[in-house]
Amino acid sequence: MSPIVETRDSHRPISMRDMSQGDNGIDPRRWPNVLRILCFVGMLVIACYLLNGMVSKGLRMLTSDEFGAWNEEMQGRVNADVIISGSSRAANHFDPREIARVTGLTAFNIGRNGTQTDVQLGVLRAYLEHNRKPRIIIQNLDAFTFVTTRELYDPALYIPYIDDHEIYQTMRKVDVELTQGRYIPLYDYAVEDMNFTWWLGLKGLVGINPKNTIYLGFKPRDRAWSDEFDRFRAGNPKGVTFPVQPDGVRVLEDMITLCHENGIQLVLVYSPEYDGMQRMTKNREEIFAEFRELSKRYNVPFWDYSQWKYVDDTSMFYNSQHMNSRGAEMFSIDFARQLAAYMNKLGWQVGGQSASGTNVMTSTLGSMNAVRFH
Amino acid sequence: MLFTSLHFALFFPIVTVGFFLIPSKMKVAWLLLASCIFYMAFIPAYILILFVTILIDYAAGIGLEKVEAGHRKILLVISIASTCLVLLVFKYLYFAIDSIILAAGYAGVHLAHPVISIVLPIGLSFHTFQSLSYVIEVYKGNQKAEKNLVVYATYVMFFPQLVAGPIERPQNLLHQFRARHEFSYEAATQGLKRMAWGFFKKLVIADRLALYVNDVYRAPRNFNGTQLTIATFFFAYQIYCDFSGYSDIAIGAAQVMGFKLMENFNSPYHSLSIGEFWHRWHISLSTWFKDYLYIPLGGSRVNYWPHVRNILITFAVSGLWHGANWTYVFWGTLNGVYLVAGQASKRYRDAIFAACGIGDASPLRKSVSLATTFILACIAWVLFRAASISDAMYVLTHFLRNWNLHNIATEQFYLRQFPVAVGSIIFLEIAEMLAARDFKIEEVLAKSLAVRWAAYASFVVLVILLGVYKSAQFIYFQF
Repeated sequence: MSPIVETRDSHRPISMRDMSQGDNGIDPRRWPNVLRILCFVGMLVIACYLLNGMVSKGLRMLTSDEFGAWNEEMQGRVNADVIISGSSRAANHFDPREIARVTGLTAFNIGRNGTQTDVQLGVLRAYLEHNRKPRIIIQNLDAFTFVTTRELYDPALYIPYIDDHEIYQTMRKVDVELTQGRYIPLYDYAVEDMNFTWWLGLKGLVGINPKNTIYLGFKPRDRAWSDEFDRFRAGNPKGVTFPVQPDGVRVLEDMITLCHENGIQLVLVYSPEYDGMQRMTKNREEIFAEFRELSKRYNVPFWDYSQWKYVDDTSMFYNSQHMNSRGAEMFSIDFARQLAAYMNKLGWQVGGQSASGTNVMTSTLGSMNAVRFH
Repeated sequence: MLFTSLHFALFFPIVTVGFFLIPSKMKVAWLLLASCIFYMAFIPAYILILFVTILIDYAAGIGLEKVEAGHRKILLVISIASTCLVLLVFKYLYFAIDSIILAAGYAGVHLAHPVISIVLPIGLSFHTFQSLSYVIEVYKGNQKAEKNLVVYATYVMFFPQLVAGPIERPQNLLHQFRARHEFSYEAATQGLKRMAWGFFKKLVIADRLALYVNDVYRAPRNFNGTQLTIATFFFAYQIYCDFSGYSDIAIGAAQVMGFKLMENFNSPYHSLSIGEFWHRWHISLSTWFKDYLYIPLGGSRVNYWPHVRNILITFAVSGLWHGANWTYVFWGTLNGVYLVAGQASKRYRDAIFAACGIGDASPLRKSVSLATTFILACIAWVLFRAASISDAMYVLTHFLRNWNLHNIATEQFYLRQFPVAVGSIIFLEIAEMLAARDFKIEEVLAKSLAVRWAAYASFVVLVILLGVYKSAQFIYFQF
């Protein structure tokens, strides 16, 4: 039957009286059809909820790569002595294997790509909630440390754990829309994620893991320097500025307080940044003055690797912010030695094997000269 | 309100259920209220502009029936001029000033750009044209003037087609508001299926391809020939799926409530000539220009050169309708040139094919015609998409240079996106080919309700999962 019931001469002007003719509401004989549509919609909603649950479950079951490392953290299987926190610079620069080898302590890198300090704090809180407290936390700093997050990078990573209090609060602070996935099935996997992570989840459900590129949270990047920085510099001939936002400062203070409250030693580290980029950052002195001020006020060590021996060597970097795997290896060894020396200074009596087989303490003093202490 | 927003996912069921549940005498008012809410979700104040257009043409329609024959034309001109004035101010004022300054610059007179900040009301060109068609049809005597302002306002503002068409004619739509609408399972399910297909085109194809196209066309000089070619090919499908997807959702949404809107697309890339392409692309606009511009100019019933002039004027104005930029004017004119050249060369092409022993119905000839038409359309799309004539010329002259198949991804569009993008285009083409052969999926799935529901649900879930939701609104909203 046609949905349009032609009752009148189509050229005659209409009056409200015309429209008042006929049925009001739905003919009761049509209710079964209405119910049929509602049943289909209901079935669809249930299917979406089930699929959402399956994807999240599958992602939580992954044991390799990004999700593998994240699952270790969120499922309380890390429990390391040394934790490295920060952005992708932390994730790419600090090799926990080197730290473990030199210090003899277990180490894990919880650095997250594309994060600012506010999200890093949320990740750290979630880590502390699910794992044994570490003895020391290395917080890697960036020029953009005091910039708060406006858009969550790779939100799919957090979706399977959206019911975790810390993760939920972190996502909510960044963008309240991100948390709609808690109530609307598939919303986050479909709307917020562009990487088909739901497919990874479905594969995880049947035990198929992605190829592993991550070691104890460390993400070495075997990439060479490209012309990316030259193009960036050409596009910003007057240099760049990173704002020092009061909220950003407060977040770092919160992180320091969190460590103090938990009796965890915190060390602030500015890992190597390509020399050319350092010179391009117009307010670098302002940012570092803030780092030094916080370090002094809260009595937290601040190790600045801005003058590290290879900061002008492009063979150690793949872009201005990130070292490649070669640079990361060199840096991790230097850093681990300094860390071991620092821990021994604290009276923790740590020490492992150096690459050459000698005791680490004998080779530590040399590397310490390359670093500015504050 | 975007069709692809969560707001619409709530809005549409509420409006539809309300529409069928409330008393018949309130149904039109309900639709008008819903349409106002729908439109005000963009920029609320702009609804006043819409009301002005509605009032002008509503009064003009009644006036045209009442005034003496000698004054009718004057009233029509006043009405059209008033309606177009709104369009000119909001859409073309800056373009006109910019063009004058540019022309003065060529003449050696340097004028300063005035500071003008006008935001184009969404869908202004669509509802303006729908209003104009009403007044013209009343003037021609093909349509009685609508005395009920609520009904007339609903005709102009009917939310499924308010911001991007199809541009309806009063003879097709207006009378439907005075018909009685009862819930129909058949219409509702057909409408929902049509909407799902529209969402597939929009979310899965158009918005994914947009990631690539936007990256490349934002700065075409940063990309190699392969990327420029892919971006242009993708744009051809992006704009088709974006616009026809919107039309599908609009037609489907109206159908659920028992309204029938006109078809707006008919597999345009299956055309064998540019002439045929324009019979299949944006049909409601093409027929609008044919009826209200091309034919009044004399159409084809004039000598050769006036006919050529009529074609070129119609296409140039059509280009200008799409946007206040010279790229659109050149795009429209180029299509006019295609049409004229196609007609002029037909005799010679037929002769060449005949000399090669290839008949009219030969699959080879069809393939050649199909490919040629598509390539010509793509070349024209470059003008449509490029931000400036200079960018368009760069793309057109660098298609075949510096090809590099190892470097085809862009910042937003990773390699892993290609299988979904290309796969969905292939799926679309297969579906359209089957539809052209009257294949109906319902007949294949008819035997089992479980199979049918599973198939429909799987399709919907796939659209949800493969869709891209972070892009801008529908391309045609800006027109």
